[in-house]
Amino acid sequence: MQRTIPLALCLGFGIFMIIQFFIPHPVSNAAYDIVLKWIRLITIFALVLGVGSLSMHHTTKIRRKITGWQYSIVTIIGVIVTAVIGLVGGVGRGSGLQVIFQNIFIPVNATMFSILAFYMASAAYRAFRARTKEATILLIAAFIVMLGMVPIGSAISKRLPELAEWILTVPNTAAKRGIIFGLALGSIATSLKIILGIERGWLGGGRQ
Amino acid sequence: MKFFEILGKIDRKIIFIILAVVVIIPLIKPFGLISKASSRAQSVFDAVDAIPAGKPLMISIDFDPASMPELYPMLTAILRHAFAKDVKVVVLGLWLTGMGLGEQALATVSQEYNKEYGKDYVFLGWKSGILPVVLGMGEDIKKAYPADNYGTPLESIPMMQSIKNYRDIPFFISLSAGSAGYETWIAYAQSRYGLKIGAGVTAVSAADAYPYLQTGQLTGLLGGMKGASEYEFLVKQKGYTNQFSPASQAMDAQSLGHLLILILIVLGNIGYFFTRHSSRKEQQ
Repeated sequence: MQRTIPLALCLGFGIFMIIQFFIPHPVSNAAYDIVLKWIRLITIFALVLGVGSLSMHHTTKIRRKITGWQYSIVTIIGVIVTAVIGLVGGVGRGSGLQVIFQNIFIPVNATMFSILAFYMASAAYRAFRARTKEATILLIAAFIVMLGMVPIGSAISKRLPELAEWILTVPNTAAKRGIIFGLALGSIATSLKIILGIERGWLGGGRQ
Repeated sequence: MKFFEILGKIDRKIIFIILAVVVIIPLIKPFGLISKASSRAQSVFDAVDAIPAGKPLMISIDFDPASMPELYPMLTAILRHAFAKDVKVVVLGLWLTGMGLGEQALATVSQEYNKEYGKDYVFLGWKSGILPVVLGMGEDIKKAYPADNYGTPLESIPMMQSIKNYRDIPFFISLSAGSAGYETWIAYAQSRYGLKIGAGVTAVSAADAYPYLQTGQLTGLLGGMKGASEYEFLVKQKGYTNQFSPASQAMDAQSLGHLLILILIVLGNIGYFFTRHSSRKEQQ
């Protein structure tokens, strides 16, 4: 029973959503509207789950003094302070939450991402070696695209941006399209397996 | 031979210092390398330009401060373009951490053009649950977003009286740094409701968007800082603004950064080939 009801609900709603997509009748649209409201309500519970799991993970780390436990204190304080300021002061212009966002979150987040440029430069220098034919082709393509996509490329040669554009629109698009088709077919197959109850991983671990 | 060994083993601290210098100098003193508009950026620009005055442009902020250098200049340039053309703007987002950036951009650019909140632009903010929000707006925006970011009911906002759902949005732009982003809008808002979509993406993910461009699912594409600088160029060229163009200035730094990385790769490979050649000789 514990598994039969969720499986039956999944089957019913899965088939309903597929059929509904192809029937733009007012009754069908009204039912679809109700389902959307339910989904919105259910997703709110993800917040409760997220905060609960975050708190449990970090309190366990602090209690057991696992490496880096001090950062967990910062995380928990950050969550509590931000939530309280947001709940009390709102999210509008000039609110405490905006002050935190503008003066802490933006600089910290941007700094983290900026540092990547340095590691990427160092990693490219160390790892990008023309050891094989494939690596050489990759290297040449990267050269052309990297130069062709910045103004200095067209200053070096007018043909560089054209060549970079060709690499992006022809070989790249062909490969990407194949990947997209593969992903789409995989998603359809997985969705069908879930709807039909063949794939039951979403019900959680334990007995099948 | 020692020289080639050194070429293949440059200390990373030296690389970091050279890169920092190469990036900082053009930011302080730009060279003025011009980034002309690509056809992809031109398509986004033309689509915004074609929106009649008084009709809305919808922008989704699907990025956070990590991608700010690339995507934020796109946002400000598009807002300047829209406001200069008296196009109404509806801003929302699928990334909670991007909402402060939307607020900041709207506050700055609306002042430049004396635009009024509720009459000329609206900030819907973020709502939990991505798919129901994207799909729900196709039926009725006011049901998906009963109130704006500040809690004002959409029913009481003058601009929103004439906007019911996607059918009232002539053009939509997703400024996207990953998932959820333009692919979400294509999959759900375009396939089901026929929303006309353009995208602005980070340079690293621009290659992923090309298949959507070729199929026409994306009207146009702004790729990375170059895309932002192209849009800034177009907006300035048409005389819609004379404000500072951060992406155009940063393109010099990016150009030199790319050039340095390429030089380093060449040096690394020279060192690798010569040391490999000599070690083979020694073995023989």
